[in-house]
Amino acid sequence: MSIEHKTGRPIGELIREGEDPEQLYGELRAAFERDCSEALTAQQGQALRDRWLGRRSGLLSATNDHWLKAAPRELKPVVGKLQNLLRRDVEAAVKAAAEAAAREQVQAEPELDTTLPGPGRAYGAVHPVRLALEEVLDIFRPLGYSVAEGPEIETFFYNFEALNFPPDHPAVDEMDTLFLEDGALLRTHTSPCQIRIMESESPPLRYVVHGKVYRNDTPDATHSPMFHQLEMFAVDESITFGDLKGTLEHFVRRFFGPQTQARFRPSFFPFTEPSAEVDITCPFCSDGACRICKQTGFIEVLGCGMIDPNVLRNAGLDPERYQGFAAGFGLDRFAMLKYNIDDILLMYQGDSRFLRQFR
Amino acid sequence: MRILLSWLRDFVEIKESPRELADALTMAGMAVDAVESEAGETVFEFDITSNRPDAMNHFGMAREVAAIYRRPLRAPSTACAESGPPAASKASVAIQDPDGCVRYVGRVFTDVEARPSPDWMRRRLELCGIRSINNLADLTNYVLLEIGQPTHAFDLDRLAGAAIVVRRARHGETLVTLDGEERDLTDGHLTICDAERPVALAGVMGGQASEITAETRNVLLEAAWFRPSVIRNAARGFKLFTEASHRFERGADWNAAPRAADRIAALLARTGLGRVLPGQVDCFPQQPRLSLIRLERTHIRRHLGIQVDDAEVEGILSALGFEPSSDKSGWSVPAVSHRLDVERGIDLIEEVARIHGFANIPATLPLVGAAPEPTPQAAEDARMRAAVRGLGYDETIGFAFISSDEAGRFGSDDPVSLRNPLSQLWDVMRNSAVPTMVRALEWNLRRNQPFVRLAEFGRVYRRSEASYEEPGVLTLGATGTARQASWAEPAREVGFYDIKADIAVLLAPFLANAPSIVTEGVPTYYRKKHAAGLRSDGELLAWFGELDPELARERKIRQPVWVAEIFLDKVYGKGLRRPTHGKLAKVPAVSRDFSLLVPDAIDFASITEAVGEMPDLDSVEPAEVFRGKNVPDGSYSLLLRVWWQRLDESLTDEEVNEFAAELRSRLQSRLGITTRT
Repeated sequence: MSIEHKTGRPIGELIREGEDPEQLYGELRAAFERDCSEALTAQQGQALRDRWLGRRSGLLSATNDHWLKAAPRELKPVVGKLQNLLRRDVEAAVKAAAEAAAREQVQAEPELDTTLPGPGRAYGAVHPVRLALEEVLDIFRPLGYSVAEGPEIETFFYNFEALNFPPDHPAVDEMDTLFLEDGALLRTHTSPCQIRIMESESPPLRYVVHGKVYRNDTPDATHSPMFHQLEMFAVDESITFGDLKGTLEHFVRRFFGPQTQARFRPSFFPFTEPSAEVDITCPFCSDGACRICKQTGFIEVLGCGMIDPNVLRNAGLDPERYQGFAAGFGLDRFAMLKYNIDDILLMYQGDSRFLRQFR
Repeated sequence: MRILLSWLRDFVEIKESPRELADALTMAGMAVDAVESEAGETVFEFDITSNRPDAMNHFGMAREVAAIYRRPLRAPSTACAESGPPAASKASVAIQDPDGCVRYVGRVFTDVEARPSPDWMRRRLELCGIRSINNLADLTNYVLLEIGQPTHAFDLDRLAGAAIVVRRARHGETLVTLDGEERDLTDGHLTICDAERPVALAGVMGGQASEITAETRNVLLEAAWFRPSVIRNAARGFKLFTEASHRFERGADWNAAPRAADRIAALLARTGLGRVLPGQVDCFPQQPRLSLIRLERTHIRRHLGIQVDDAEVEGILSALGFEPSSDKSGWSVPAVSHRLDVERGIDLIEEVARIHGFANIPATLPLVGAAPEPTPQAAEDARMRAAVRGLGYDETIGFAFISSDEAGRFGSDDPVSLRNPLSQLWDVMRNSAVPTMVRALEWNLRRNQPFVRLAEFGRVYRRSEASYEEPGVLTLGATGTARQASWAEPAREVGFYDIKADIAVLLAPFLANAPSIVTEGVPTYYRKKHAAGLRSDGELLAWFGELDPELARERKIRQPVWVAEIFLDKVYGKGLRRPTHGKLAKVPAVSRDFSLLVPDAIDFASITEAVGEMPDLDSVEPAEVFRGKNVPDGSYSLLLRVWWQRLDESLTDEEVNEFAAELRSRLQSRLGITTRT
């Protein structure tokens, strides 16, 4: 009588026929060991599992029902122990067989060509002007500067008069202003926002103002009727021209590189006194011999100065008590210098090929 | 402005090389654009700021050199042999508008011969870019370049009554200027007249009738000071910009007028081209008052951050032609007529600073005295920008101007028009950002771009009650494939639901509940029934959809393009939603599929609405939507997948069966739809 057959019979009967539990489980174990004496395929592993651990027809279910549950009271501890030992080993072997089969299956899968590209995913570009802006803001924010934008449609007062442009002065013409029908205008610089902030807040003030500005300029590679300006200003009781120099030197080193040096040249703006233009040592050549700096070794990058007392007064601040500095520049130009863009009009065409370089 | 090194040397000693001098002047605020060598002569090309008319000539520039190196300055010689009757007996000058003309100096020359100017003078003029004309014209140009005073020579014999009257023109008077144009004059124009009529447009251009000719023998020379605003208005009015108007409108020096007249007389006498009658006819009714400027010693430190030695301050100011007198706390400095731009202590501080050298002011950093103000809506904007990027839209920026035609088709508000637009394509401020985006899409399609995703953060412009509003708008544009095509995935065209999904992602951080879809009132530049809006709490947040194919075709766009407008002022106004954590379910959700045949008239929103609220209902999803084969016309087949979930315990089969039965019954009773499974 095969051991499989014996599992279908109550243990009491088998004992009466001369079997004993140790011997029965020994035979069963021997059968199991025969079943898994060779390496098993995934399919054989499944068959092994069904034959031994199947819930209804598995051999261990059978012994559980016919041997363990049916055992006389005094044999139960012995049979239980033998049943558990065998079950533990069968489960371990079945698990091991399954794992081995899974490994085998993974190994059998074809290899990947890891040199093929992944499917196209677009991560959007940041516009170069915005990229330059973010860089500038990252420099000024830790210095305690707030950020504002202000309206683009402005009045003559804020764009010129309050900024100390004499009403009949050529400096107004030089701005090439675009006017609206009612005499309002498109701001030619971000400075009007300086006045608006000084009017509504009290010193100490530290602000970066940025946004679109407009000039009646025919578009070409270096002119655009709309472009972006950024200006920073600080007003307090003891801000000096030396502070302006220190702030801007820090700024250009951070933006253009640590070796950058700034040169302050006296200049003229109606809204600052003293006024200066800032040239930086050319970041693109070491010997002052490149096209970008026109063989001078210097590039003019921004205008600045101490805020004219008339401007402070026009904004309602007492120039006997407060003073400050202001500096402004074209973000487009900064972006063009930094990212090697040779035509400002590329900024405003929306050409995907251009923009994607800034992803 | 071209300046000759040799001419500067007439007035100041220069030991430095041209390059060194150029650098020194540049660093003092006289920007040298180029140093050139022409015919053995060094020529500097200057870019002189509009506040410094005093330096737009050789003597003025020499004064700068003298100040920088603290060297003596020599004035041009005005020594002159005079003979004959006094000038005043041969010509008269009267100023009837002393506000417009502050000073008028006349000089009379007789026996003038029309001969070429001497070579040295012609050479200097030509190196400065001025063509030699005749001896008198050359003289006036020479002195203009030398000391900056514009002058004008009249043929005295052609001046009625040998008289000069400076007055406003009378209505109806005309003047043929030297360029041959007949000018209609009004009382806004300051004119130089003879006893009868206008003979020159003051400070701008002379008249043809009194022009110097080869026959001219007797000359009246004018050296005057005109009010800058008067000259500016005339020059602008006639669009007539001359060397003279350029200087007068920036401000000349009334004390230079007699010197210029004398200098021309001296040069005329020296070159033997005529006789100089004794004396000037100097009409100077009222010397303008110049202020006494106060310069406090402490203010120098307060503005510059450094103390400058008293001797240095006085040395600089004296070299620039000021006469400072010192006292305990600083200096009193009378303003000077050659530097009308210097009126206040701060102006003097600037003079001290620029000559002392900005480079000699040490760089410092100000102490932070203010906590930065948070930028309004910065967090909202940062979140939106990050999401737009993540969805693969490339940020673009377009011009804020569009054409009035575009404004009419795309905008609902009356556009804000420009008075002096650059072109008809850009004649109004945009009242919609869609045309800007359409232009960009068109640009890319013309360049065969198969995958285009653009986003613009910008503004639109409109009138408000008091002034203007510039609300922010985010515009999206998409055309071509849904993803960048690749070997790994089949190419698929982008469509309405791609855009809708993107907008859902963009709005999610701002909204507690999903926005409702708006199908009424969609703007007509969208394709009918292929566009919609989104609304939340009664506010319209976005329009999106396919651009009207008719509009697209007009722009030579031959494939569907998708645009969206997200009204950022409304969206950001809601603020970022503060996320709150709810309970997570301990057991998985259970789903059932329902196969429905739905008449076209019933949209998906009606179906979810009909399902309505149910206990433990988690979500209702359209798993499949199918039209065509085996589906009768006028209907579509919808596989509805419904999920139920209870947080703490599993739902039993019986419970889910009950839910499913209830759902079927609702669809049946509310919409008449029979479920097939």
